[in-house]
Amino acid sequence: MNIKKIFVVMTIMVFVFAMTGLAVAKDTLVVNTYTSDPAPRKAMQELVVQYEELNPEVDVELNITAHEDFKKAIRVWLSSDNPPDVFSWFAGNRAEYFVDKGLIMDISDVWESENFYEKFPKAFQSISVFDGKAYFLPHNYYWWSVFYRESIFAEYGLEEPQTWEELLTLGETLKENGITPFAIGTKFRWTAAAWFDYLNLRINGHDFHMKLMHGEIPFTDERVADVFKKWKYLIENDFFVEDAAAYSWQEGLQFLSRGDAAMYLMGQFILDATSEEVSNDLNFFRFPIIDASVPVAEDLPTDGFMVPAKAPHPELAKDFIAFLGSVEGQRIFGEDLGRLVTNKDMSADIYDATTNKGRTMIEATDKLAQFYDRDMSPELADKTMNSLMEFWHNPANYKQIMEQMESHRQRFID
Amino acid sequence: MKRKFVPWMFLLLPLILYTIWVIAPTIYTFYLSFTEWDGLTSPQFIGLENYKYLFDDPTFYKSLINNLKWLIIFLAFPVVVGLFLAMLLSQDIKWARGFKASIYSPMILAPVVIGLIWSWIYQPQGGLLNNTLTYIGLKSLTRGWLSNPETALYAVIGAAVWRHTGYVMLLFLAGLTSISPTVIEASKIDGASAWQRFRFIILPLLKPTTVIVIVITMIQSLRAFDFVSMMTRGGPFNSTNVLAFYMYSEAFRNYNMGYGAAIAVILFLIMFVFIALYLRQIRKGELE
Repeated sequence: MNIKKIFVVMTIMVFVFAMTGLAVAKDTLVVNTYTSDPAPRKAMQELVVQYEELNPEVDVELNITAHEDFKKAIRVWLSSDNPPDVFSWFAGNRAEYFVDKGLIMDISDVWESENFYEKFPKAFQSISVFDGKAYFLPHNYYWWSVFYRESIFAEYGLEEPQTWEELLTLGETLKENGITPFAIGTKFRWTAAAWFDYLNLRINGHDFHMKLMHGEIPFTDERVADVFKKWKYLIENDFFVEDAAAYSWQEGLQFLSRGDAAMYLMGQFILDATSEEVSNDLNFFRFPIIDASVPVAEDLPTDGFMVPAKAPHPELAKDFIAFLGSVEGQRIFGEDLGRLVTNKDMSADIYDATTNKGRTMIEATDKLAQFYDRDMSPELADKTMNSLMEFWHNPANYKQIMEQMESHRQRFID
Repeated sequence: MKRKFVPWMFLLLPLILYTIWVIAPTIYTFYLSFTEWDGLTSPQFIGLENYKYLFDDPTFYKSLINNLKWLIIFLAFPVVVGLFLAMLLSQDIKWARGFKASIYSPMILAPVVIGLIWSWIYQPQGGLLNNTLTYIGLKSLTRGWLSNPETALYAVIGAAVWRHTGYVMLLFLAGLTSISPTVIEASKIDGASAWQRFRFIILPLLKPTTVIVIVITMIQSLRAFDFVSMMTRGGPFNSTNVLAFYMYSEAFRNYNMGYGAAIAVILFLIMFVFIALYLRQIRKGELE
């Protein structure tokens, strides 16, 4: 009896050791991402499970870190000798920065073998390929637009405004009925930067905007003053909620949820952050056209993945990158998150009605930008966004603000 | 010989740890302040460039002035109020213990939590402060306390004062218990009034405590970081920025590690004066 028991225990132990041995023998792929909000977190986890099912011999270790912390940690990881194999990152200036420092692995062979040059729309090559080599895998993107409460528009018989004048008239009607036209929370500043982006894109066009973002045009340019004048009009005429600087962008949503404000200039992810009741009532329209002769451009921040130059498992990492670029590797982000994905072979059926509307809007767009602090060097963006906040507090001072922004630019180019 | 050897044995481990974790990083920070470093590549030596830039940087002066305002308010309010409360609660009052505990209780909360609570109190819509003001008929005084650059700094300091007062009170209470009751007794017999007793007996006897309280308060206000980081992140447009937070945002948000180090060095030098004072006072106490 006793001997039998010992035998059973020993057999179990042998099995346990064998199993651990197996687990160790499996290859481990380390993937670090910043998909920390509940919905993207779930999507990323599901994506990894999907990959593991397709590749049973690979074990994926997924580490999810909050956005801001991720941005700090990535620098430590990249300069260490043991970086992750794959990490999520932002297209634009932020990706180029690491590429320039030689910290990113060339993944041109994956682009070549998977034919990403054909499978992704051409616009994505400009943010992924540097000096003829591909370093970035654009995975998903979202659009910016003016989101609004359909029920409020219906109540007062309002139509989606197409032009600046229509927007102003619409705003007056809302104000007469005690509703603030725009909700916003500028505590973390980038929501205000979106307004600068859009006014500049609509007034001065994409080429000017990108040159300004890259620090090639002085902020004291008369054309920048036009942006501030339009913006000043909105602020001085109570188009925005009071004390906007007291709220984060999510706290700013309360005005929209309560119906105290009707619109919010925001990215598609606004739909993840509102209650179902409110998000069902949200619709959107393209930021109104100010000058019809200016080609239409939109902010379209793109998220993707990169492989560190010192990645311990480059082959596995590239295989995972190939998967992320495939239709299968993008489906969950399109289906569950409502993000637009980069692979053109993806059928449009997976998107819900809102996302499809966004897709149609983007297809009719001439030029694309990333976003204020993704197109601009992060440091210059940080300093100039402070100036934007100062402008918001005291719009009449815009001339001084422009000089202040210019002095930051001067220091930046030195 | 043996006598000198033994204490060093005991000190060895803490000294090694202290060197690795405190002294070496401090020296390294001094070195970094003469370099340009993005945290990725190796630091480039640039001499005094960072300091030249620093003394020409409006945000640096803004932060320094904010630190000084913080210091003045901290010396005026928590110290005086703390002393007053300590005097009051060292008397035989009903519920004295309960009061002491409740006034000290903010001290046991993490500053982050306090920052969060006060952010809610200051909310422009539905916040406790604005709601109370509206309720008592002072609606004209309501504002976005943390979003208005005129009030934001004082609002942040207010939250810090709330925490610091209890600490000061506790230090004074401890100081008061060390005063011999016979001295107080004697002054009563000699017919000193309550004010005279406070002014000429208690206050002079409290001097060592007072010095320590003042120095701690100075250090606290110079190292202010947590409340700013939690409540405003230095905003709106640097109106609540302080040196410690400016250093942090330059080093870890804009990755000007060298420049951040230069701010840290200046902050260190300012603080060093107060810390030296504090240490001197402590040594004096030990000698007595």
